[in-house]
Amino acid sequence: MGAILKDLLKYNIEFRVGSMLIAIVLVMSALSFVSPYPPSDTFVVAPDAPPSAAHWFGTTSRGQDVFWQLTFAIRNTLAFGVLVAMLSRVLSLSIGLLAGYKGGWIDRILMSVNDTFIVIPLFPILILFYFVLRDSMSTLLLAVIMACLGWAYDARLIRSVAMSLKAREFTQVSIYSGMTTREILVREHLPYVMPIVFSTTMNNMNWSIGLEVTLAVLGFMDINSPTIGGMLYWANQHTAVVAGIWWWIAFPIALVVAAFVGLFLLAVSMNEYIDPRSRLARMGGGAR
Amino acid sequence: MSAAPILQVRNLRAAFRTHHFGVRRDVPAVDDISFDVRANEIYGLAGESSSGKTTLIKTIAGVIKPPLELVGGSARFAFLPDCESLAQASPAAVAAIRWSKLAYIMQGSMNVLNPVRRIGKTFEDFALRHIGSAGDFQQRVEAHLQRVRLEPSVLRSYPHELSGGMRQRVTIALATICAPDFIIADEPTTALDVIVQKDVLAMMRDIQGAMGASILFVTHDMGVHAALTDRLGIMYAGRLVEEAPTDVIFRGALHPYTRHLIASLPRIGDRSERKSLTGVPPNLANAPPGCRFHPRCPLAVDICRVQAPAMTELATQHRVACHVVTGEAA
Amino acid sequence: MGDYIRYAMKRLGQFVLVVFIGVNLAYVITHATPIDPVEQSISASTSFGNAAPEAIAEMRRSLEELYGLKGSWSEQYLAFWSRVIRGDFGPSMSAFPTPVSSLIARAMPWTIGLLVTSTIITWALGNYLGALAGYHQRSRALKAFGLAAMGLHPVPYYIVALVLLIVFGYVWPILPISGGAAMNMPQGWNWPYVASVLKHSALPALSLILIGLGSWFLGMRSLVSNIITDDHVVYAEIGGVDRRRILRSYVMRNALAPQLTGLAMSLGGIFNGAVITEKVFGYPGVGTLLVDAVYAGDYGLVLGVTTVSIVGVSLGVLIIDLIYPLIDPRVQVD
Repeated sequence: MGAILKDLLKYNIEFRVGSMLIAIVLVMSALSFVSPYPPSDTFVVAPDAPPSAAHWFGTTSRGQDVFWQLTFAIRNTLAFGVLVAMLSRVLSLSIGLLAGYKGGWIDRILMSVNDTFIVIPLFPILILFYFVLRDSMSTLLLAVIMACLGWAYDARLIRSVAMSLKAREFTQVSIYSGMTTREILVREHLPYVMPIVFSTTMNNMNWSIGLEVTLAVLGFMDINSPTIGGMLYWANQHTAVVAGIWWWIAFPIALVVAAFVGLFLLAVSMNEYIDPRSRLARMGGGAR
Repeated sequence: MSAAPILQVRNLRAAFRTHHFGVRRDVPAVDDISFDVRANEIYGLAGESSSGKTTLIKTIAGVIKPPLELVGGSARFAFLPDCESLAQASPAAVAAIRWSKLAYIMQGSMNVLNPVRRIGKTFEDFALRHIGSAGDFQQRVEAHLQRVRLEPSVLRSYPHELSGGMRQRVTIALATICAPDFIIADEPTTALDVIVQKDVLAMMRDIQGAMGASILFVTHDMGVHAALTDRLGIMYAGRLVEEAPTDVIFRGALHPYTRHLIASLPRIGDRSERKSLTGVPPNLANAPPGCRFHPRCPLAVDICRVQAPAMTELATQHRVACHVVTGEAA
Repeated sequence: MGDYIRYAMKRLGQFVLVVFIGVNLAYVITHATPIDPVEQSISASTSFGNAAPEAIAEMRRSLEELYGLKGSWSEQYLAFWSRVIRGDFGPSMSAFPTPVSSLIARAMPWTIGLLVTSTIITWALGNYLGALAGYHQRSRALKAFGLAAMGLHPVPYYIVALVLLIVFGYVWPILPISGGAAMNMPQGWNWPYVASVLKHSALPALSLILIGLGSWFLGMRSLVSNIITDDHVVYAEIGGVDRRRILRSYVMRNALAPQLTGLAMSLGGIFNGAVITEKVFGYPGVGTLLVDAVYAGDYGLVLGVTTVSIVGVSLGVLIIDLIYPLIDPRVQVD
């Protein structure tokens, strides 16, 4: 693992840039633990002050320091993405592995459902959820809902890997040695799909964070716990753009874009690293 | 028959150069190869898979793409005498001779034909610019298809609608439609079952005889060489180790590797045990020094481990690269 | 042809399944709510003003059928479905007494126009440039484009729309940033009106295109860089087939099929993007309608737009599936 990271850092520019961006984002969210201001308090500093030595990123019209507010926001937003990714990994892994391994009608049924979830536009569904739940819609509940809706695409990828594993000899050996389906999937197949799980995790986080930002901006979730979307929501409420308080908008956008691009680049470099073609070339088996 | 050579290969070298995640590799897949192909002959190239056969013919045909690079030497065709090798020729000159003078049959007919294009369109793409108007062209293609016993209706088919044997006949028709001077055939029969294989070989012989083309025929299958080729070159680990008329190779091969290849052929009535070589073909990225065959050679002596043997003409038309064999002859 | 019919029936079956699951999802969500939507909505709308008692009764009836908890479970379910199939979501509360269906019908052409145009432009341009980049791997300009795509592609629609809004609304105001056409202009097929529509849709379309372009570009580039090593392409090169012909018919044509599948699979995501983009630019399509309906607490409208968008997107996917065999003759009937 350490050697892989060293390799990637040394020779893969996407990985280098991606991990740099993510490092910035992580440092920012870690700083939230030493913030001088509690996240939900308003009017703790003079409002509408442009960036200065005292307030690096300026202050908002609600009297909050943008820099420290941002540390909380990015932490919550990241945590949300990680939570959704974790939960939906459980679903996409179990469904993908099972469909790929079992094949036959189980596969057909699971993939029909799977394709349905790929096709259905999820944003209106999420809005409908908010609409009926209103104030009972907590961040945690939203994460659970999004995990239940956002597993399908990755399940398909995992299924295709599982299908190729099924044909391999060691699977037959496991079957003959009397292992149950669950044992085979968890002990034998899971390790092989882990690389693709890692790279889909990044993409899934991008997806869920993107939706979270969008929902929050519209005010369709708990906008009182600070998130990137929540900050933009309040900035819009105070018409920050018209009022010329650009720092209230620009810094959250810059930071969240860094997170998006960073996660995406990590996924890309990871994909390239696990691609059999490039792995072969790396091991020197490229000659034919 | 010693007509002027149509292809002269001299000291040809090509290598795969890769640079990936910091691992730089230089794999010399074609190493100092020289031979001639004469007009109107079928020249066979034999050797195990990964002996560099395909790389050699790609280099000769001038289809070199990174990571494969031409390192040195020449491969000169009689119809392009001013040109050291196709890889260095001007694109216009190469485009002019492709398919009209030089055609190519590849292994795996399923993958060679564009899966989303009708066969007729593929014929147009390859040959129309060499053969006059569209009206004549259609007639000529249909007449030519008859030679390989295919209905004109295949022209309206997609490759996946044809059987393996039909597809292979399509590729043979495609390669010969312009009556080229030189055809490179890379394992054209390998994926076919034995009956179809025999059929296809007979067809290639017929067409070659009728049109007077030269064929450079590459396969690992010694049985096919025995049935088809006039002369035969044996490759091992990127080098040519022996060359002679095919019947000479089969009756009196000199190189220990060639002798092994022939000894391992099954013969009717022969119940003796097949001897197998110890070891595996070398990884070209890390080839042994000296003669590349020495770690597996039953005759190897000290010099084989340090110095690569040169191709030496021991008898008329019979060249071999082996210290032991040439030493005994001297 | 028989193969095609079987294939088409399968796709049709999948379409029905998607709509069935989607509408059921909407049913479950709306019926899982702890509050009684009917009473809440009625009280909200009567407090607005002086609606006639019979109009309120009409609204109550449709709301009860759509969300109602009266009657047995199966009666509720059947009443819901019969409403959905008739496309009758009752009168809108926020635009009382206009029916929800006519509000949606009014907004629909805007969304379809914006979405279809921008999606086709995005898909065609992204794939074309991506194919060139995969084929001419040394081109500096295309490499630079690849970098830009990598930077833009992962950013969500909202952020790009917001940035465009700021840039063209405040920094360099050359394009209208809100609405579907100039306010005071009568609708009609005349040039000034059409020009105004085009101008107003420029920014929403641009933000949809900017985001989408990257994913097609990157996908096509990696597909093509694999396809050019395929035997049939190498063979065509050996055969001296015209380079442009190779790029078009041997390389791009083979990459098109997976990209068309990709388009079908990402249609839902593109629609998600259109909803928020429309809202940002105040574009009069179903996205804006949906978001405003949530703000106004208009149950019938929210449910109506959600259902219609599920059906609409699945229909788009079905259309793509049905034309797929034109691109790839190897129709799979497995």
